[in-house]
Amino acid sequence: MNLKKNYDFIIKIIILLIWLFVSIAPIAVLFMASISDTALFQTIPELFSFERATLENYRISINQGNFFFHLRNSLIIASSALAVVLIVCTPMAYGITKLSSRRSKSAVVFGVLSTRFVPYVVIALPLYLLFRQIGLSGSLFGVILAHLSMQMPFIVWLMVGFFDGIPDSVEEAAIIDGCNPLQVFYKVSLPMVLPGLNAAAILAFIMSYNEFLFGLFLAGPNTRPLTVGIMRFVGGVEVGAQYGVVAAYASMIVVPIIIFALIVNKYIVSGMTQGAVKQ
Amino acid sequence: MIKKYSKPWWFILPGMILGLITLGFPIYQAFRNSFYDIRLYRLQNQLFVGLENYVQLWNDSIFLLAVRVTVIFTFGCTLLSLICGISIASVLSSEKIRGTLIARFFMAFFIVPFVTTQVVTGVMGRLFIWDVEFGLVNYLLSLINISGPAWLLDANLALPAAIVTNSWRLTPLALLVLYAALATIPEALIESASLDGANELEIIFKVKLPMIKYHIIFVSMILITSAFREFDVIYSLAGRGPRRATNVLSLMVYEQGVSVANMGYANAIAFTMFLIVSIMTIIFIKIFSLDDVGV
Repeated sequence: MNLKKNYDFIIKIIILLIWLFVSIAPIAVLFMASISDTALFQTIPELFSFERATLENYRISINQGNFFFHLRNSLIIASSALAVVLIVCTPMAYGITKLSSRRSKSAVVFGVLSTRFVPYVVIALPLYLLFRQIGLSGSLFGVILAHLSMQMPFIVWLMVGFFDGIPDSVEEAAIIDGCNPLQVFYKVSLPMVLPGLNAAAILAFIMSYNEFLFGLFLAGPNTRPLTVGIMRFVGGVEVGAQYGVVAAYASMIVVPIIIFALIVNKYIVSGMTQGAVKQ
Repeated sequence: MIKKYSKPWWFILPGMILGLITLGFPIYQAFRNSFYDIRLYRLQNQLFVGLENYVQLWNDSIFLLAVRVTVIFTFGCTLLSLICGISIASVLSSEKIRGTLIARFFMAFFIVPFVTTQVVTGVMGRLFIWDVEFGLVNYLLSLINISGPAWLLDANLALPAAIVTNSWRLTPLALLVLYAALATIPEALIESASLDGANELEIIFKVKLPMIKYHIIFVSMILITSAFREFDVIYSLAGRGPRRATNVLSLMVYEQGVSVANMGYANAIAFTMFLIVSIMTIIFIKIFSLDDVGV
């Protein structure tokens, strides 16, 4: 019996290790390719042999690929959209949990959810046309506006769940102590959902940093984020010669975000599972 | 008492206005544009054509193919991510592993695909995973003496490869939600089932999965809607693919609107996508009766 249990345990660890491989191996290959001299194509074992290690790909990504310029755009877009959304949507989520009429509540919930699931092309395409008509195409404003549309329903949706978890009695006690509605919100309720707010903000930031579609439709030469910046090395005539550069560029995009995600793992887990585990 | 006191509409109003500008207005524009003939290079001459764009959709074999591809892609991704998610979550939540440092260690790394930039996932897939000669998949196949095909260049294999790639990205979501759900099942319940003589698979299928039924529906809904709108991964992985094998609706909207410059038609496709998502949302709200219990 004991032997069988140990055997079970080992099988399970092996399954988990296989899934670990599936999750990490592609990134590892990408990273190894980024430090390899890929003027010649190399097979997977050759990539991991360190024989032709070089930083040339990174140099090209940074110089010809304007990596830091695009990084700056990505960070500006993600953080300005996030700032606006946090200021406007946190109170909104709080308000939704306080609605008393069923009808208005279901209308608001439908509005938030249907836009939470909206295909991004439905937003990007009309904005692309509109900005061309009014001469705003390629502007930072346009891209940020689109990112607002992506982050808003996401944050409202998560925060409604977190605000809903506050027991009424806590807020009622604050009212008895003489807080006005605004004070109840920012002195009592907001501090209680702070971990949730962190989770929502982190996920929304990662979402915007990773976003490509809006950048493709709406950004111009001066406003392109990293995700669009990498594309010039992906297509085109020199595809073969650019494998290593693409890998270096992609590694520089993705490694910081992965390390960040590992550090704030706790918040990401709570944000991703929010709304699911309440039933 | 708190509900009456807190003046909820004042808190909602600013967000609502911003939502109308950033979401309501573009969606209305998509609706409006879909009734016009708009060419990108002569924007002044917009011609009202009524439902013509929508009628044209039904006779457009490229559109009908895109619908088919989108449906296969959406359900393929949902199913594959769910199966992987449930399997790994069951292992992770089993008696000796759940809650331990081992579980936390694995979970931290299992999230990596989800936070990986979508275009990086796509580009990585194209150059280093599915490549005929240098890709990881064909390398692993060669270890067991199979010479792998040119996945992304084969009209029959490009879509499955795209599904696997996107499921790689979506599985962590299913895994995480279902792991959290499975962890809420009391140990005593599982013990009593195993005392009744149920084996581990029976416990999973007859005790655990029925108990987390709602979580499975919930996560399926998220998976369906996010696979349905996927653009980044497919665009950077295979583009529209050989013989449009991976040409999902989102890609078709981009192609029609930006490359072909037929804006009215592209907006009609986009608005059709919005209608589909709205119907899915209504089903979602009905299943969970969200307006009763709060979100």
